[in-house]
Amino acid sequence: MVTMNDFKGTVKADWCPGCGNYAQLTAIPMALAQLGIKPEQTVIVSGIGCSSNMPEYVRAYGFHGIHGRSLPVASAIKWANPELTVIAYGGDGDGYNEGTQHFYHSSRRNPDITYIVSDNQIFGLTTGQASPTSMLGMKTKTTPDGNIEPPINPLSMALSAGATFVAREFSGDVKHMVETIKKAISHKGFSIVDVFSPCVTYNKDNTFDFFRKRVYHLEDEKHDTSDLMAAFKKAAEWGDRIPIGILYESNDPTYESRDEVLNTPLIKKPIKQLKEQDLEEFL
Amino acid sequence: MDQNEVIIRVGGAAGDGVQSAGLIIGKVFSRNGLHVQTYNYYQSIIRGGQSWYQIRASHNRIRSQGDGLDILIALNKDALERHTNPNINEGGASPLDGIAVYDTALGDFKKYDNVKYCGLPLGEIAQKYSKNTLLKNTVAIGAVFGYLSIDFETLAGVIRDQFVGKGDIAEMNVKAAKEGYETFVSKYGKSNKTLKPENKRFYLISGGETAGMGAVRAGLKAYFGYPMTPASSIIHYLASHSKNFDVFVKITEDEISAINMAIGANYAGIRAMTGSSGGGFALMTEAVGMAAEMEVPLVIYEAQRAGPSTGLPTKTEQGDLFQVIGASQGDFPKAVFSPRNVEEVYYMAGEALNLAEKYQMPVFLMVDLYLAEHYETVEKFDLTPNIVRPKFATGDEKDYKRYEFTETGISLRALPGTPNLMHNEDSDEHDEKGDVVSDAVTDPEIRRKIMEKRMRKMETYMKELPPTPTYLLKDAEYVVIQWGSTQGAVEEAIDILRAKGIKIGAIEVNRPYPVNPDIKELVKGKKKVVFVENNYTGQLRRLISSEIGVTGELVTKYDGESFYPGALAAQIEERIRK
Repeated sequence: MVTMNDFKGTVKADWCPGCGNYAQLTAIPMALAQLGIKPEQTVIVSGIGCSSNMPEYVRAYGFHGIHGRSLPVASAIKWANPELTVIAYGGDGDGYNEGTQHFYHSSRRNPDITYIVSDNQIFGLTTGQASPTSMLGMKTKTTPDGNIEPPINPLSMALSAGATFVAREFSGDVKHMVETIKKAISHKGFSIVDVFSPCVTYNKDNTFDFFRKRVYHLEDEKHDTSDLMAAFKKAAEWGDRIPIGILYESNDPTYESRDEVLNTPLIKKPIKQLKEQDLEEFL
Repeated sequence: MDQNEVIIRVGGAAGDGVQSAGLIIGKVFSRNGLHVQTYNYYQSIIRGGQSWYQIRASHNRIRSQGDGLDILIALNKDALERHTNPNINEGGASPLDGIAVYDTALGDFKKYDNVKYCGLPLGEIAQKYSKNTLLKNTVAIGAVFGYLSIDFETLAGVIRDQFVGKGDIAEMNVKAAKEGYETFVSKYGKSNKTLKPENKRFYLISGGETAGMGAVRAGLKAYFGYPMTPASSIIHYLASHSKNFDVFVKITEDEISAINMAIGANYAGIRAMTGSSGGGFALMTEAVGMAAEMEVPLVIYEAQRAGPSTGLPTKTEQGDLFQVIGASQGDFPKAVFSPRNVEEVYYMAGEALNLAEKYQMPVFLMVDLYLAEHYETVEKFDLTPNIVRPKFATGDEKDYKRYEFTETGISLRALPGTPNLMHNEDSDEHDEKGDVVSDAVTDPEIRRKIMEKRMRKMETYMKELPPTPTYLLKDAEYVVIQWGSTQGAVEEAIDILRAKGIKIGAIEVNRPYPVNPDIKELVKGKKKVVFVENNYTGQLRRLISSEIGVTGELVTKYDGESFYPGALAAQIEERIRK
């Protein structure tokens, strides 16, 4: 039996007290343990940012790469060894700024990996600059007169690219998050879970309180997760009421299942012995 | 002109079928057991412009596209006037002193002395067989082999292979070629060249293809890339053979994704490569340092073209040496290979994969457009697998440390999935266990030790550096230092100079980084050193002089073309007489 304790790392997390990331540090190991996935089968891939330090704190295989590039690394790990459970994890700056093209293309490509984004709508590690999901008008170190760029909507972006599992969660609701992450990990294909994860130090607008007042559970309103148009509507919902839970889910084939070579795990393939006939085309 | 060899040029516009005509001609010679070198001159357009394809075939070992021209096949008027004009010395080739084959329907054109104009109604003959205008190329090819008295059946065989599965087209082409063959001989007679078939089995192959094949031989399981000339020949080859080779080939959203995927795949334990040309490689730069810092093996195929920026997309240059050596911030171990010919690309691709995995560091396989795209004959390939895989941790290790400080600098890798040995591989600086030391407590002592551990891999590698290859160096008074694909032209230039009584040899740098200190010994006592490079500033000279203090005269070429032996010999002679 796998327990949460099996995922407990030796390095103590050094995020600010009260940081939204702690919720994911609980929810991800809890989801993995409940699914019976062992630490040695788990790879957590991240980029750079506060949240990207996650692999340091979890007892699993960790790949702490460079800013914005977790998704290509994670996809290739999965393609090389599909027996691994591969989770890419990072922030909104990492994933929706420098990593935008990888996010968009992973959404259409559908590799069997899970992407969890700690979306705090600010740059934390670099001490508080506007991020791609910062709200209009938000005052930060780089937008002293208020942010004039409308935020990215990562969920509608993923939906438009053809993502097969799109969800949103909130760090103030760990129980709900665990259930969604379990489904995201179990989903065959690319799953994105955007988590409202308040930055208690640099974002004074989108606080725990801000979200507590607004979020509601999609399943309570009989949302049809197979309805793409309904998912777009829910992705756009912002204001007094903000939905969390699974917006969209489909069974489209994974990238791996579409590629004949990937039908056998790359890591298990025997060495190709070149033969005389491989040279014949050059005669 | 040597009666044992022939140089043929097919000239026309893009879309005229210049390249496929050239390849057919090359294959006919290669199947006759002759040595072949080809040279492809083209631009970054799909239709129009001026392109040509040169084929040199010989009974002797040849190493470059050669000087001069025996036969021109002109597919349009422009090509006919251009390649016969003694005032246009294109690419360093001497003006045509032989025959020009062209379609009499071209009408009036400017004529020059020393050219025997052999017009044939190419289009008219072709129309008997098909409406496809490209068929007239086949008539011209037939004419050339009639002129050279090369048995028609070899040509027929190459044509049939070229159009296999395309129904009547193959036989239509064979018939058109046959008519060209016979019509030319009855009208103009035969050449006095003595090109007879030899009992040798040759493969006509490019560097991009041998890079792919050599990597597969060394256990390549995945290749990630993004289209960019001239790095495309390897990916085209691997993609079209992906099922047979059981290699996963992925075109990614950008080069950044390509290199990060290659690193992820290597991290997971398979052999994976990425590749690009200078512009695309620039995008990969940041991840090169990540592979080095995390000690993940990585082979990057870097196919140079003329820069800066978009530069000359279809032209060759050796201008990326400092870009490659200097890629990514900080100091870290790395190795750079610059194979000298198509055959060496095959072996070095495998060596690069073995080395990268042994030392857990980036290894660059640097070629250039000329080497990646031109075809030459190779007699033999060693097909036995060339795989030296290091040991991996099994899970039973006590006190496992991913980055353990060892004497060699090499630490034992535990691949994800290995029981008990979970750890982090980090682009941040870390300690022996892989725990980050960059954030909460920056530890200068650990930083020093882990830097020294990584750099020790370089010291270990230096001990196994093979000697730098040389050419006719023993009795040489003068020495040329070259790197990469200029080997052929340099060696032929040296042969020309030796025939004039000048004792000269060459040092051939096929592993430019780390710089092999044996070069210092090799130049000892030589009267003069001349560097020959396909770039503007003499990048190898700058590197070698700064690393081991060896410098010399410099011959450069930065017009997008590779060296021609005759012109190069004259330039080298001028430098040594200075």
